[in-house]
Amino acid sequence: MQIDWPGLVRRVFSEQGVFVVSIGILLLGMVLGYLIWRWTRRMLRNAGVSEAVEGTPFERTARSFGTSTVGIISNIAAVFVYVLAIVLAINVAQLGNTDVFWTRVTAYLPSLFIAALALIVGLVVGDQARLRVSERLRSIKLPEVSLIPELVKYSVFYVAILIALGQLGVETTALVVLLGVYAFAVVIVALVAFWDLLRSGAAGIYLLLNEPYSIGDRVRIGGNEGIVQEVDMFTTRIESEGEEYILPNQNVFESGIVRIRD
Amino acid sequence: MTGLDDFLDELVADADAVFLFSPGKTQYEALAEDDDVVVVGPSNDVEAETFVELPLEFEDLRDRIRFGVEGAVEHGHVGEDAELVCLAGVFDEDVDTVSQVRADQFEKSGVYDLFANSRAEPSVIRDVLEVAVELGKKGQKGKPVGALFVVGDAGKVMNKSRPLSYNPFEKSHVHVGDPIVNVMLKEFSRLDGAFVISDSGKIVSAYRYLEPSAEGVDIPKGLGARHMAAGAITRDTNAIAIVLSESDGLVRGFKAGELILELDPEAY
Repeated sequence: MQIDWPGLVRRVFSEQGVFVVSIGILLLGMVLGYLIWRWTRRMLRNAGVSEAVEGTPFERTARSFGTSTVGIISNIAAVFVYVLAIVLAINVAQLGNTDVFWTRVTAYLPSLFIAALALIVGLVVGDQARLRVSERLRSIKLPEVSLIPELVKYSVFYVAILIALGQLGVETTALVVLLGVYAFAVVIVALVAFWDLLRSGAAGIYLLLNEPYSIGDRVRIGGNEGIVQEVDMFTTRIESEGEEYILPNQNVFESGIVRIRD
Repeated sequence: MTGLDDFLDELVADADAVFLFSPGKTQYEALAEDDDVVVVGPSNDVEAETFVELPLEFEDLRDRIRFGVEGAVEHGHVGEDAELVCLAGVFDEDVDTVSQVRADQFEKSGVYDLFANSRAEPSVIRDVLEVAVELGKKGQKGKPVGALFVVGDAGKVMNKSRPLSYNPFEKSHVHVGDPIVNVMLKEFSRLDGAFVISDSGKIVSAYRYLEPSAEGVDIPKGLGARHMAAGAITRDTNAIAIVLSESDGLVRGFKAGELILELDPEAY
């Protein structure tokens, strides 16, 4: 449904009026761009984006250029509006044979905008995710653990780049397949490695919710008898004369529980 | 002021080690160059090699030093008869006080032992102490209240006690340190009986009537039935007990049947 805007304007106004209209469009675009710039800034600030991105490398890079992540995003939004206004004005004024070229540019512009946004958000989120994960793992004093946050970061980057490329119309099927294989591998490894933990966790949820036995009860679980000292998500600790058994909750389910009443 | 300089030199002359209480990074690095430095503080911010964690911000310098020294001796950072110089901040965060002690100067009180070598985790004990102190400060609607918390070895404690009433914590999974706990405990402290808390900090039960054998428990005269129960249960099991006294408002810690820690909530 293409409306012939230049033709319509030409019919409504005179030939000279068209120039006035296009200049008006330009001015309107300026004002709108400025308003959008201010609005985005305020929105992002209020949403706490400034604090959320604090300390990420992207923010630091932005800072060294005298701006910030919020500033860059609002600038991109404003530039988007400016360019749209200029294209519209040129189109209306019909300066030269612009039709084909500019229609395609305008059609392309939103994708470009979203691609840029996806990249920025991806960079920031990736860095934040790395920070969060490494903070979580800080109590584990193991050098190899530092690999996990990096992996998380680059996974997020990869997805962001995929989205950006997809928006630009680049053929990304191969990359998507790669991502799928990678995600599949992660899931398989997690399933294999954490299989017992998962089963214990599922049993633990039942034990915690229903409390078939509680702290202080005397129980026998698969030949180990004692007083329950602790029940958590994954393990049950029972203690008898100087011996403490730490049993995975999955064992509790497999062998059943004998509550000893006297 | 050469007299003052001489005096200070003499004070630190035969020090075997320096105890730094919650130092700044630069301070630590300057001292660690050529002295044996033991850092004592709530957290090891300066990444010192020899570090004793302080679970409470002891207001009294004596308590702080005593805890630090006992911890360091326990870990073997310093010998039992070492000469020590302590640098601490009394009036402010920054270091403003120098004091000289010998590691064997005071009787071993077991404060460090109470935190580090109990069944329950140190953070759990700290949280319970904080709740007790908070309760002692505010009381129940302005009136002083008493409370008894038995921490650790919960299975055995449960078997050495009986319920006074329906257990409000049954099938709930609250741990001390959860924000909601302060409010809950304050409400429940109105009722009699002990709170039982597990090694990992889970509140197992309230309203427990403890029935350990109180034989041979030696606590200072003048303390009431609550303290006697606390002393007895810690002798009979591997738990520790934190008691808030209703009459004098002090918080006391018991371990193995002995009074180990005494804190005034108002000064804390």
